[in-house]
Amino acid sequence: MGKKRTTSGEGRERQRLPARRFRTTSPAALRADSVDGGSLLAPLLGLTDRAFSDCPDLADGAMEKMSRVTTALGGSVLTGRTMHCHLDAPANAISVCRDAAQVVVAGRSIFKIYAIEEEQFVEKLNLRVGRKPSLNLSCADVVWHQMDENLLATAATNGVVVTWNLGRPSRNKQDQLFTEHKRTVNKVCFHPTEAHVLLSGSQDGFMKCFDLRRKDSVSTFSGEATEAGPREWAMAGCVPILPVLSCRILRLHHSFAHGPMQDAESTANDARESWGCPLYPLGLCSGPQAGQSESVRDVQFSIRDYFTFASTFENGNVQLWDIRRPDRCERMFTAHNGPVFCCDWHPEDRGWLATGGRDKMVKVWDMTTHRAKEMHCVQTIASVARVKWRPECRHHLATCSMMVDHNIYVWDVRRPFVPAAMFEEHRDVTTGIAWRHPHDPSFLLSGSKDSSLCQHLFRDASQPVERANPEGLCYGLFGDLAFAAKESLVAAESGRKPYTGDRRHPIFFKRKLDPAEPFAGLASSALSVFETEPGGGGMRWFVDTAERYALAGRPLAELCDHNAKVARELGRNQVAQTWTMLRIIYCSPGLVPTANLNHSVGKGGSCGLPLMNSFNLKDMAPGLGSETRLDRSKGDARSDTVLLDSSATLITNEDNEETEGSDVPADYLLGDVEGEEDELYLLDPEHAHPEDPECVLPQEAFPLRHEIVDTPPGPEHLQDKADSPHVSGSEADVASLAPVDSSFSLLSVSHALYDSRLPPDFFGVLVRDMLHFYAEQGDVQMAVSVLIVLGERVRKDIDEQTQEHWYTSYIDLLQRFRLWNVSNEVVKLSTSRAVSCLNQASTTLHVNCSHCKRPMSSRGWVCDRCHRCASMCAVCHHVVKGLFVWCQGCSHGGHLQHIMKWLEGSSHCPAGCGHLCEYS
Amino acid sequence: TVDTSHEDMIHDAQMDYYGTRLATCSSDRSVKIFDVRNGGQILIADLRGHEGPVWQVAWAHPMYGNILASCSYDRKVIIWREENGTWEKSHEHAGHDSSVNSVCWAPHDYGLILACGSSDGAISLLTYTGEGQWEVKKINNAHTIGCNAVSWAPAVVPGSLIDHPSGQKPNYIKRFASGGCDNLIKLWKEEEDGQWKEEQKLEAHSDWVRDVAWAPSIGLPTSTIASCSQDGRVFIWTCDDASSNTWSPKLLHKFNDVVWHVSWSITANILAVSGGDNKVHTHSPWHGGHSLLVFTPPTREGT
Repeated sequence: MGKKRTTSGEGRERQRLPARRFRTTSPAALRADSVDGGSLLAPLLGLTDRAFSDCPDLADGAMEKMSRVTTALGGSVLTGRTMHCHLDAPANAISVCRDAAQVVVAGRSIFKIYAIEEEQFVEKLNLRVGRKPSLNLSCADVVWHQMDENLLATAATNGVVVTWNLGRPSRNKQDQLFTEHKRTVNKVCFHPTEAHVLLSGSQDGFMKCFDLRRKDSVSTFSGEATEAGPREWAMAGCVPILPVLSCRILRLHHSFAHGPMQDAESTANDARESWGCPLYPLGLCSGPQAGQSESVRDVQFSIRDYFTFASTFENGNVQLWDIRRPDRCERMFTAHNGPVFCCDWHPEDRGWLATGGRDKMVKVWDMTTHRAKEMHCVQTIASVARVKWRPECRHHLATCSMMVDHNIYVWDVRRPFVPAAMFEEHRDVTTGIAWRHPHDPSFLLSGSKDSSLCQHLFRDASQPVERANPEGLCYGLFGDLAFAAKESLVAAESGRKPYTGDRRHPIFFKRKLDPAEPFAGLASSALSVFETEPGGGGMRWFVDTAERYALAGRPLAELCDHNAKVARELGRNQVAQTWTMLRIIYCSPGLVPTANLNHSVGKGGSCGLPLMNSFNLKDMAPGLGSETRLDRSKGDARSDTVLLDSSATLITNEDNEETEGSDVPADYLLGDVEGEEDELYLLDPEHAHPEDPECVLPQEAFPLRHEIVDTPPGPEHLQDKADSPHVSGSEADVASLAPVDSSFSLLSVSHALYDSRLPPDFFGVLVRDMLHFYAEQGDVQMAVSVLIVLGERVRKDIDEQTQEHWYTSYIDLLQRFRLWNVSNEVVKLSTSRAVSCLNQASTTLHVNCSHCKRPMSSRGWVCDRCHRCASMCAVCHHVVKGLFVWCQGCSHGGHLQHIMKWLEGSSHCPAGCGHLCEYS
Repeated sequence: TVDTSHEDMIHDAQMDYYGTRLATCSSDRSVKIFDVRNGGQILIADLRGHEGPVWQVAWAHPMYGNILASCSYDRKVIIWREENGTWEKSHEHAGHDSSVNSVCWAPHDYGLILACGSSDGAISLLTYTGEGQWEVKKINNAHTIGCNAVSWAPAVVPGSLIDHPSGQKPNYIKRFASGGCDNLIKLWKEEEDGQWKEEQKLEAHSDWVRDVAWAPSIGLPTSTIASCSQDGRVFIWTCDDASSNTWSPKLLHKFNDVVWHVSWSITANILAVSGGDNKVHTHSPWHGGHSLLVFTPPTREGT
């Protein structure tokens, strides 16, 4: 990169501000024009052209220095890192030299210049000289002239405005002293393009404009001045003093000025006003002084309009002034609720003013419209002490706070809620912030009350946005999923890059993303609610099932059938099948041996199995709705029951397998036609193992038989046939087993066992495993329902804790679905003490003594206070602990039974009070 | 799709206990509550009080009334309560030094206890002690650099409930899990003296842990925790042996992007996972962990 080329190119860029003002396009033109521009203001300040031309370095020197700076920037010589250095004292303000290589720090007891080197800050100059530090050195603000490297101004807390000339040979660089303000000067500000124009704003409510070549201020602006109508000066009888020169200047000015503000506001009045402009004779100036003025917190020259500056006040107002008209402000509006601590003009030519206030807000105003229009509003956490637009990033600004919050934030004004970046280096309030170079967006300097000076690199900033979770996800009660996601996530591919773990490139992406180009999709989220029904997550079935299941009050078989029907109607075939199985297992035990038969056939090898299997399937598969039919035919149609039962046993056996494996027995239960046969084949080898569940299988016959006895519906018809199945079963056994080798002996054993003694809890294991399976599937409803329906039959096989756990889980679920009645029923039916006391736990009975009407505190039946038994039966003279019935007329009463009986024989009160009681 | 009218990104959406209301929170500092019954979406409340982006919301169990907690970048946790149909701020907790990233209510059996995880590395536990008073316990330096998520273990009583006579408050062991920027998941347990102690450190992730979710214990024989991380991985942690308290991780899936959230269905049989790919994946961790379904929100036209 050739230095020459860069120089001219960047030079032009650097000169953009003056260039726009004076419409220049080449450096040469600029030079001419800036002289011209200087001359514009010169007469205003009472200077002659000659006097102005006495300072040639303004034009020439400036030109040269500008190039140097921009070269530095263009060649990326502006290097550095995040660093900080310790100061001797807390800083109140900082300002950067236009060469971007030096920074001045000012505070109550510090006033130093530091060189910003690549790795560190180096103290270059201490401006606090002299034996006795005067109050003049106690700085509230400092500003470095952006055109003259040697020129600095400070605002002292005692109201003095001091200028400093670094070019002075002596140690003391103090140049001028203006002691015009009566109270602390909050802010000083140099004119962006004029070398000698300085503005100050003070706590005393006045703003003063100084010409550095004069001893006194050239004009004073009072914060109290109200916005005036165009003709107010005339009404006030003010006679404008109109220097001839200024006429020319004003015309010149208007010919150059462009943009809506000038056009809309001034142009209409230009002709009239510029002639009548109440320019005060220089030196004689004294603005309106009446009354107590509002304190000025900030003054800033506009970059866009040569004569305009903005000032902010403690009462929340912002005023716009024309520097030629100290009598009244051009415009005034209330920007904030409470003091406006700071303001900053947008560096690009847009007439945007950012203001920050104690109300924790930063507002961006468009000043080009007729009324100041609020464009953006950023809410920060704490009061805003400083605001600075970020160079080269149209929508970014940096803020720091006055108290509480020590961080510096960079906001994208379009995204007013989350800071784009955050610098957390300071341990105390940050008092001054400044971007290092007007065209470089990455270096930020800051001074703080913690006595440190920091250089922050934008890329090192923590970015809250990146840490923020862009998605929300929640499972709803009914299995629906609420999902909120950033809408631009998919589109902005590059935005995701930083997550991939490679920490080298993201910086590049960020850098590229941040400047100028608006980052895609300014954060909005789409919230969608999905129904996960297809995935089985929907919970509608749960509610329906809970409402429709019958858990008690009917014979077991009926309950099972009913529940199977419910399940089937809800399309839950697996569950339906399970209920059917349960009914078969526990209600029709006589058929088990035939199951054995089938099983052995199944084992018998390829010849027997497919046949058997297909038979089964044919029967089961069509919707699994065959139970009803089977039920009907149960008693009389043997073959049907055999079939049904065989399938059931097959299933239970596989269930047994299930306990070892992890697969879903449900598949078998469902009796899906496809794949079923394969599965069965697969199972065969396992069945052949002697230690397989089949060896105990025979035993299962026994408990079943015992169940019959106490199972209401089954007994009669089953009992009477109790023997026949076995016969037929064994016959079948023999018949079919003949060709089978290994299982033969097993089966014969089984029969032996069956006939002798059978442990009563064989099925318990199967059912237990099944319940566990359901519970693990998340269907705790099934587990609990079966538990309740089967009652004692399975309870002993499942440990209490698990049962309780299921109960409580299920009850909790029911309550979530607001199924209070079902929940209550479950609580009532539960056998677990802890569960059944749930209802009591949430119910409180308050008992008052029937005599003294005081609450009965103790658990007994004797009132603590009157020492009498409460609620005595008038008939038997014992305490009534259950239902108490009393006469509303005489308030005597007693046990319901007793009173009823008594009143059958007598119509008078049993207590003998003579009242005629009536029981209805 | 629900029109939330939020002005910035939404960070969390939570349905209440009965699934009738949806609370959302956003960068725009607001928390909104919608009635979503019968497929509708009626804005019930727009809660303003935070001064920064609101990261997370959490519903308390309805037995305590309608209570919603929210946590924000402004370092505050606000507990909102509905009374007579209007939502109002009932408590503000400002005990953290940095953004509060996660809030989670303890199982209702314990009373009203709220765990809050913050970027300052601390976790604070707010316990309602009655009459508008909240007692604060703080676990300092729970996660270096910051805590991103907290999730309570379901209420489980050591031993059988039978041992406890009715009426007496059972002796719950309170536990919760937290995930942080130190790539760790930590399990915390309340000691008998009421102090919280780190019980277990689960290490498997290689980047920030973004979310942890303790599975509801419905029917499950084991304790299960799902975790997801910036490293794109989703782990399922199971503790089969409660006595030795050993946890084993199982990688459920590795995504190519950050995984932000994991959420269990109420019966704990399905895990929903949302990641940087802007999709929701549902998994059934108990059957090979295969992805069941993928949900993609409709993209706005033009984006």
